[in-house]
Amino acid sequence: MELRSGPPNRREAWGRRVLALAIACSVGFIALLGQLWYLQVLEGGRMHELSEKNRIRIRPVAAPRGILFDRNGLALVDNRPAFTLSLIPRELEDRNSVVARLSVLLKIPVGELLEALERVPADSIRPVRVRRGLTLEDVTKVEERKLELPGVIVEVEPQRTYPTSTFAAHLLGYVREVSDEQMKQGRYRRGDMIGQSGLERLLDEYLRGRDGGERIEVDAYGRPVQIMRREEPDPGAQVVTTIDRRIQEAAEQAMAGKAGSVVVMDPRNGDVLAMTSSPAFPLDRLTGNVDRDEWVRLVRDPMTPLMNRALQGQYPPASVFKIIVAAAGLQEGSLTPMDRIYCNGEFNLGNWTFKDWKPGGHGHLDMHGAIAQSCDIFFYQAGLKVGGDVMARYAHAFGLGAPTGIDLGGERFGLVPFSPSQRARLKRTWQAGDTVNMSIGQGQLLVTPLQIARMMAAVGNGGILWKPRLVQRVERADGTLAYGSSSKMTERVELSPVVWAFLRHSLAAVVKEGTGALARVPGVDIAGKTGTAQTISKSDSSKGQDHAWFASFAPADDPQYVVVVLVERGGKGGQVAAPIARQIYEAIFLQKVAQVTLGESG
Amino acid sequence: MLRLDRRLLQNVDWLLLGAAFLIIAFSVVCLWSLSPGRGISALVWRQISWVGVGLVGLIAVVSVDYRNLVRFAPVLYGIGLGLLLSVFVLGRTVSGARRWIHLGPLTLQPSELFKLIFVVTLAWALTSGRGERLSRGALIGTFVLLSVPFLLVVRQPDLGTALCLVPVLGAILVGLGVRLKVLGGLLLAGVAAMPLGWFVLKPYQRDRLLVYLDPFRDPLGTAYNVIQAKIAIGSGQLLGKGVGGATQSRLAFLPERHTDFIFAVFAEMWGFLGCLVLIVAYALLVLRGFEIAAGTRETRGRILALGVTTVFASQILINIGMVTGLLPIVGIPLPLMSYGGSSMVVSLTALGLLLSIRMRQFH
Repeated sequence: MELRSGPPNRREAWGRRVLALAIACSVGFIALLGQLWYLQVLEGGRMHELSEKNRIRIRPVAAPRGILFDRNGLALVDNRPAFTLSLIPRELEDRNSVVARLSVLLKIPVGELLEALERVPADSIRPVRVRRGLTLEDVTKVEERKLELPGVIVEVEPQRTYPTSTFAAHLLGYVREVSDEQMKQGRYRRGDMIGQSGLERLLDEYLRGRDGGERIEVDAYGRPVQIMRREEPDPGAQVVTTIDRRIQEAAEQAMAGKAGSVVVMDPRNGDVLAMTSSPAFPLDRLTGNVDRDEWVRLVRDPMTPLMNRALQGQYPPASVFKIIVAAAGLQEGSLTPMDRIYCNGEFNLGNWTFKDWKPGGHGHLDMHGAIAQSCDIFFYQAGLKVGGDVMARYAHAFGLGAPTGIDLGGERFGLVPFSPSQRARLKRTWQAGDTVNMSIGQGQLLVTPLQIARMMAAVGNGGILWKPRLVQRVERADGTLAYGSSSKMTERVELSPVVWAFLRHSLAAVVKEGTGALARVPGVDIAGKTGTAQTISKSDSSKGQDHAWFASFAPADDPQYVVVVLVERGGKGGQVAAPIARQIYEAIFLQKVAQVTLGESG
Repeated sequence: MLRLDRRLLQNVDWLLLGAAFLIIAFSVVCLWSLSPGRGISALVWRQISWVGVGLVGLIAVVSVDYRNLVRFAPVLYGIGLGLLLSVFVLGRTVSGARRWIHLGPLTLQPSELFKLIFVVTLAWALTSGRGERLSRGALIGTFVLLSVPFLLVVRQPDLGTALCLVPVLGAILVGLGVRLKVLGGLLLAGVAAMPLGWFVLKPYQRDRLLVYLDPFRDPLGTAYNVIQAKIAIGSGQLLGKGVGGATQSRLAFLPERHTDFIFAVFAEMWGFLGCLVLIVAYALLVLRGFEIAAGTRETRGRILALGVTTVFASQILINIGMVTGLLPIVGIPLPLMSYGGSSMVVSLTALGLLLSIRMRQFH
């Protein structure tokens, strides 16, 4: 087969074809000259500028992260200088041997070092931070062997330091190096430390500040030839929170060894004075370098230490809900303070028998007594009189089943059944038995401790539902205000003043002579309500371990503090939760007395 | 055989040699300017000694009739194949690729040597059939013969060398007047195979292709080379910064600055005018090569001349195109400029082949 085309004069044809190839090549050369003309002549000025910038590099100087203060000016977290081990990929002449030596020296797994290096190009001149929080001993080891470890440097950066490992862990949140996911947002530079939870995350933009830098002339190995200018970093803004460190500490101390949550709130403005969730996670060990095993352990821990129970834990409100039943009944007129019943410990409805928590019952009771003694039989009947719909309406009015609007993320809504959508979700008809269950805060009802704190504040202050406030203001380093917030009322519960007075009076009786007696603090009138939430348990071991509630405010006639205590699987509210509240009140009021005395004598 | 008669010497192509030596002089100056100290660094001395070795190769090739060389093509092919295979056994891995073998103190890059063997083998295979006609069998035979070493080069991986061999084959087929329909078919097959190639590429090679499409994708990562090279070239402006002022190059922001990216060093120092001179020198060299090919009557000579010329042309165009950001980055040296023994010796030997053909054109 003839594969070649072409005229008979082969020499001429060859010449023509070679000429065509030569022309094609010439076009290529002309294109190169065109591009060079573009780069060197048209864009030359700009490129020249870029090359000047290239020679002068900025070595970042990390800004100290803003400090979080409590309402009295005590620091909740602080910074201290910490040593960070960094590698400069370009300078690692023999990457494997340097990494191996470093691994042996500091007992850092080789994989961890290589992984950090793999995330950046091999000829990068920027230091890659591989381990934060080196001990002085480690620093000495590295400095001593500097010559054997080309490309290994130790940087000094401010790092978070905490009063104790778990202090206000959920509230403050942890700070950690930006993750790969977060890098995609494009707001951060690799190696930035950013708040990952709690207030640190909420206020990250204010807290982070702006890194400063040194303008230095460097060669491509990052070696400074000359320091040209130093720009001081802008430290992060200072945050004044609503937290009272003393109360927070007392609450954490009181909850030590128990699972659950405490919320302390100022009913006059919605300020959160303390908020705990236990078990807590170790903040200091999540900050900086995180041991992967440690992280997995935290995530898999059946006690869920990472969950902020104050706003993410959902529990049946139990007898605490009786406050709402009473409020609804009195306001709607279906109940009166004069209603009396005889409680024999049992209540029959159709084929069902509902029992009181106290075997044998409470005997003759009026509503005041029923609240103080937390009589279930009274409230079964009261609930049926008020009706499920009205109870649900008042539950919603007191802010249950809806987020409180606190600025921390991940807040759960709880659940108030009986709204049409929720009823549909339940997929079964509502029966009288459900109303009976609801009237003592059981059944499908679920609330968070924070919701109960807001509700108690409303009971204390005459109906105002506050948006819980955590941050008073954010001040820049130069003293100007970056952010300020005032108390926000989100809802108002309208009840007649008589009803409010009755509720406050009855709740005070709970502590004075009723189920909450163990919360009593001499010299302080405390109004509160105990609750014991039955838990659905499948295993025998955890059976009978109910959630213990104590929701309260004080002083009863002029409420300034709301204290809500929940102990998971702790037992009875009056026996377990109320004493914890007492400890917190003691810290609040006895300290105050001490201060006043000191002030007078001085 | 080694006798050089006067007629041969009269036909030495001084223009070709002159252009080549101008370029080599530029290369030495560039490398000298990159030396850290004031003196002449070992790097420069080594490059100069490689030029010496290359000249020996050049003279050796010139003194031999290229037709004898083609006759030995099967032997050369065997040696080339052996060296390429030895890379996989003896080779040292440098940044993910095995391209070099060590012979005592020297490192040899067989894929460089293979560029020349590729051309000689082509000349042998395409003319080995009976008669003047280019048969389909010879064509297929050639493809089979060359595909083995080609795949070995790709596997190293040395994408640059592999890439510059494709236009060489194309140019020779065009020159021989293979019908456009056949060429088009081959081209289509090549294009069809490209998506498959994506899977063969190593991750860093894929990155380079993507960065070519969007250099600011990752300005501190893979695109670093492209951007730094562009800045170096552009900042040279019209007249260049001179030997001392080339901060980009001297402060080592440029990667691979003495090998694949040497053009950027040159461009920063000498500016557009310098580049014009350099590119004209390269164009002279290449166009002279085409002229030699066009003026040759003997088929083997034609194929050799055209092949060697296109080896030069494709390396020059791809290298400068990549350094100036017109083409994606592939590892390919700039002939006669880049530092590197294998490349320099092979380039000078190839030049010798061109000279040899021209000297014997009029026989």
